[in-house]
Amino acid sequence: MISLISANSAISFPKIAVWDVFVRVFHWSLVLVVCIAALTGFVLDATWFQIHVWAGTASALLIFVRLIWGALGPTYARLGNAVTDPATMIRHTRSLMVGNAPRHIGHNPLAAAMVLAMVAVVFTLGLSGVIVLGGVYKTGPLAFGLTYSTATSVGELHQVIAIGFLVLITLHIAGAIYESRRTRENLPLAMVTGLKENRPGDHVAPHHSAHPVMAGFLVVGALLLAFGAGNNLAARPEYGGLVQQIDVVYQDECAACHMAFHPSLMTGQNWVALMANLPDHFGEDASLSPASQADITAWLTRNAAETADTKPAHVFRDLDQAYPYTFTKAPYWQQTHQNIAPEVFNLAPVFSRANCAACHSDAETGWFYPANITIPQEKSK
Amino acid sequence: MSRPRTSQTQRGLQAVLTSTFLLVGPTHLTAGPAQDAVIAALAAEAGVSGFSAQTGKAFFQASHSGGKPETPSCTTCHTSDPLAAGRTRVGKPIEPMAVSLSPNRFTDPEKLAKWFRRNCNSVLGRECTTTEQGDVLTYLSSL
Ligand code: HEC
Ligand code: HEC
Ligand code: HEC
Repeated sequence: MISLISANSAISFPKIAVWDVFVRVFHWSLVLVVCIAALTGFVLDATWFQIHVWAGTASALLIFVRLIWGALGPTYARLGNAVTDPATMIRHTRSLMVGNAPRHIGHNPLAAAMVLAMVAVVFTLGLSGVIVLGGVYKTGPLAFGLTYSTATSVGELHQVIAIGFLVLITLHIAGAIYESRRTRENLPLAMVTGLKENRPGDHVAPHHSAHPVMAGFLVVGALLLAFGAGNNLAARPEYGGLVQQIDVVYQDECAACHMAFHPSLMTGQNWVALMANLPDHFGEDASLSPASQADITAWLTRNAAETADTKPAHVFRDLDQAYPYTFTKAPYWQQTHQNIAPEVFNLAPVFSRANCAACHSDAETGWFYPANITIPQEKSK
Repeated sequence: MSRPRTSQTQRGLQAVLTSTFLLVGPTHLTAGPAQDAVIAALAAEAGVSGFSAQTGKAFFQASHSGGKPETPSCTTCHTSDPLAAGRTRVGKPIEPMAVSLSPNRFTDPEKLAKWFRRNCNSVLGRECTTTEQGDVLTYLSSL
C-alpha cells in the first residue's frame, strides 16, 4: 500500500537487479521463436514448414534450458519460489479485486501460474510436433514407429493446443499491462533492463545463489544425450516407407512423356484402371506391348498406396470419382494447390499441373515433403 | 535421369563427330547406315524404290483431323523446327528429331514402331501407312 502511494508522488526508489541476463535473453528469444512458429504455422503456406519445425524445436530447447535455470539459477530465476498453491493464487486475486494486493519483486502468484502453463504448453506442442513429423512426414526421431493415422489425430491436438497458446499469450500480455499500470512500473522494460524499483513493502523472495557451472554441465549433458538418442532413432528406417528402386521398364515407358509418378501415390485398383485404358491416356495414345503392360501393372500394384504410410499415399486414396486415376483432380490436390495462380501451371518451366517435379524436388521419391517445394520463376511459353 | 550417363556421352561424341564430318565432308548429308537400313526396309515393304522428303515435310508440318483434339499435329510436341528440341504436353523435353542432331534417332525398330503407332493414333486417329512413315523418316534424316 505504502509503495503505491509513494509511487504516485513520484519519489524515485533505488533499483535492484531482478531478472538476470539469462532470464532476459531467454524471455525475448522465446518471444521471437514463438512468433516465428505461430506465423509459419497459422499464416504462411506449407513451403515454410521447415522454418516452423526449427522454431518449434528452438522453443522446446529454450524451455528446457529455462527449467534447469529455474532450479539452479539466482533468486528470481527460480521457478520453485514463484509457484504457489491455488489458495495463494485465489487470495492474490481477491486482494487484486479489493485493491490491496502487494507488489512482487519477482513473479506474482498469477504470473507464476502463467509461466507453468506456458512451459507445459510449449512442451506438449514440441512433443506433438515431433509425433506429426514422424508419423505424417516420416522424418525425425519418431519416424520409425508411428503410423500416419495416430499422428494425424495428434496433429489435430497440436492445432488445438496452439490456439490455446495464443489465448495464454494474450492473457500474459494483458496481465503485464495491467500489473504495469497498477504498480506504475514498466514491467516489459524491466524484462529488458533486468532492473526493478525496490520499494518498501514489496514482496521479496528468499535468497538463492546461482550455480551456473552445474547448470551448464546439466544442459550440455542432457543435450548430448538427447541428440545422440535422436540421431540414433532418426537413422532407423521409417514406418511404412517408400520403395526406392524404380522398376526399369516402368521408368522407360511411363517416364517418356512425364515424370515417373511414384507407385505409392495411387491405390492398386486405380493403377489397374489407368493401365487398362492406355490407348486413351489423357488425350494421347500411350499403348504398350502386352508384356510391358502386364509387367508394369504388376509392379505398380505391388508398390501401390496400400503398401505405404506416407501422407501422399493416404491423401490420394480419395480421388474424384469422375477421374479415377488423376491426382490433379483429387479433392486434396485441388485444395492444397488452390492458391497457386493458374497461369503458373501453363507457362514454362512448369507447363502442366501433372509436372509435380517442377515444384516438388522430391516428387520422384513419392515423399512430397513440404520443405522440398519451390515454385519456379515463371517464364513465357 | 532415365538414360544412363554413358549413352548420353556417346551421343554427345557422335554429335561432335557428325558435325565435324559435316564441316569437312560432302555437302549433302546422309543419315547413318542404321537409319538407311530402316528406311530401306520400309521401302521394301511399301514396294517402292525411295521416299519423298518433300511429302514427309508436308505431312509432318500439317494440321490433321481425326485424332485427339489435344494433338492436332506432329509439331504439337516436336515443334515445327525438327532441329529444335520439342516438348511433351507435360513439359518433358524431347530431343530434336533431325538425325544430324540426334544421331540415335530411328535406329531401334521397336521404339520406332511404338511411337509411330502412338503418335499417329493421337494425331490422325489411325496408324500411319508405310509410305507416310518412310516419307517422314526420309525428311527427318535429311536435316
Ligand atoms: C505418350 C505420352 C505418355 C506416356 C507414354 C504416358 N503418359 Fe501418363 N500422361 C500423359 C499426359 C499427356 C498426361 C496428362 C497430363 C496433364 O494433365 O497435363 C498424363 C497423365 C498421367 C497421370 C495423371 C497425372 C495427373 O494429372 O494427376 C498418370 C497417373 C499417368 N499419366 C501415368 C502414366 C503411366 C503409369 C504411364 C505408363 C504406363 C504413362 N502415364 C505413360 C502422357 C503420357
Ligand atoms: C506449380 C508448382 C506445383 C506443382 C506443379 C505441383 N505442386 Fe504440389 N504443392 C505446391 C505448393 C506450393 C504446395 C504447398 C501449398 C500450401 O501449403 O499452400 C504444394 C503442396 C502439395 C502437397 C502437400 C504437401 C504437404 O504435406 O503439405 C502434396 C501432397 C502435393 N503438393 C502433391 C503434388 C502432386 C502429386 C503434384 C503433381 C501431380 C503436384 N503437387 C504438383 C506446388 C506444386
Ligand atoms: C503428344 C506429343 C507428340 C506428338 C503429337 C507426336 N509425337 Fe512423336 N514422339 C513423342 C515422344 C514423347 C517421343 C519419344 C521421345 C523421344 O524419342 O525422344 C516421340 C517419338 C517419335 C518417333 C520415334 C523417334 C525415334 O527415335 O525412334 C517418331 C518417328 C515420331 N515421334 C514421329 C512423330 C510423328 C510423325 C508425329 C505426327 C504424326 C508425332 N511424332 C507426333 C511425342 C509426340
